Amino acid sequence: MTHAPTRPRRVSPKEVLARLGQPEPMIRAKVKDRIDGYFRHFIAHSPFLMMATADAAGRADCSPRGDYPGFVKVLDEHTLALPDRPGNKIADSFRNLAENDGVGLCFLVPGVREVLRVNGSGYVTDEPDVLVRMRTEAKQPELAIVVEVAEAYFHCGRALIRSRLWDPASQALAEGMPSLGEIAAAQFGVDVDPGLLEQVLEDGYRKLY
Amino acid sequence: MQQTVVEHIDRIAEDVVALTLRAAAGELAPWDPGAHIDLSLPNWLTRQYSLCGDPADRNAYRVAVRYDPLSRGGSEYVHRFLRPGRALGVSLPRNHFPLVPAPRYLFLAGGIGITPLLPMLRAVAAAGLPATLLYVGPSMDRMPFAGELRRSHGDRVHLVETKRQGRPDLGALAATLEADALVYCCGPASMLAAAEAAFPAGRLHTERFQPAARTFGPDTAFEAVCARSGDTVAVPADESLLDALAHAGHPLPSGCREGVCGSCEVAVLDGAPEHRDDIGAPEGRMYACVSRALSPRLVLDL
Repeated sequence: MTHAPTRPRRVSPKEVLARLGQPEPMIRAKVKDRIDGYFRHFIAHSPFLMMATADAAGRADCSPRGDYPGFVKVLDEHTLALPDRPGNKIADSFRNLAENDGVGLCFLVPGVREVLRVNGSGYVTDEPDVLVRMRTEAKQPELAIVVEVAEAYFHCGRALIRSRLWDPASQALAEGMPSLGEIAAAQFGVDVDPGLLEQVLEDGYRKLY
Repeated sequence: MQQTVVEHIDRIAEDVVALTLRAAAGELAPWDPGAHIDLSLPNWLTRQYSLCGDPADRNAYRVAVRYDPLSRGGSEYVHRFLRPGRALGVSLPRNHFPLVPAPRYLFLAGGIGITPLLPMLRAVAAAGLPATLLYVGPSMDRMPFAGELRRSHGDRVHLVETKRQGRPDLGALAATLEADALVYCCGPASMLAAAEAAFPAGRLHTERFQPAARTFGPDTAFEAVCARSGDTVAVPADESLLDALAHAGHPLPSGCREGVCGSCEVAVLDGAPEHRDDIGAPEGRMYACVSRALSPRLVLDL
């Protein structure tokens, strides 16, 4: 990859380590190799997570998953299961997992500043006893992702404190955004009334399961 | 919706806890034996539980919840994460399993199916009527209220531990049933099926806590006419009547969304509904979450 002359300076990993120092022993100790009672409690209250995967070449991808709190099932203290709900059918995560089983998860609980991070390896399942636990609105997902947990820990709340993510006043940021229809019309390059496009997209959101 | 506070969580059997839900203010709505409530859990799930306490106590409801290893998040939340002091919303009681007056009764309970029958037995005993309870479970430690029942009702109560004794012969029981007795049965699907095979339909009242496994014809599109507003709502084949109505601006209350709780009941003024619920819709009513239409159009009192 060629760098434009204006590209920001690259700091070597060695220099990064020298500047930040080694993590505190207490920070390392908080990393567990299993889902304990507190992690389980967090997962039971979490309606949202981000999932990172990568392909064989290490090209990364990160996607959101959301449902009712506890939608991720703790099968045992080493194993989680995530339902696959109808989405964009691009299935990047599935393709990546077939090539590279590494998975990183960040769970959020509205109102809680700390983030639960779980890293491990994943694969796709259609096990009926797993899928039946994910039935909602009388619909059951066809597939789920099983995550075998390698490490789990709470990430400190500074990112969420600084971002004011759970402050209701932060919702005013949405007012500064162009409408969904406006963005879609421009990005898809279609000559449609953005209001009409917005209606079509909103109608698509009605069907969640 | 009524507001309550979780007062007690008591383990009453190996995999069952009883919740005492105290009114946050004033009195709770009255109920009769056989009634159930929807519990709005903190994880946004709504679950139905039979009331098993004393109908005369207007300050608290009591329900019992069995842990389901294949939990979708309802019983798991109650067992693992719910704590005393937590505020919980509960619906008004509904009763699809009311006690019909009769000179004598036979109650058949399977496991956690004891819950609606418990206040029935108390009411019948208090009225001085003859009643028998056959209570079936794997073993005593997994049969909530077994000890209490035996203490309060003595030899009216027959406990069967299937691990030791096997399943009871309901056919033999039916052969000795008095001609004027009514039978009330609540339990797992296998027990309900055995009861339906053994007892005459007219004398058997059942309640199931999970939808029966049944197959229906393919889902087809139909129209729902809302008589009060005159709106016609198209219900596509891949959408429920409940969802189509909600999207068209005619939301109904809803709970289980699988035809067992009855919260989405709606009156049908014209057309032929295809009932797919497990409640047994009264004449002229249907449950919009699962039921569809045999006729191209339904006219609803909406």
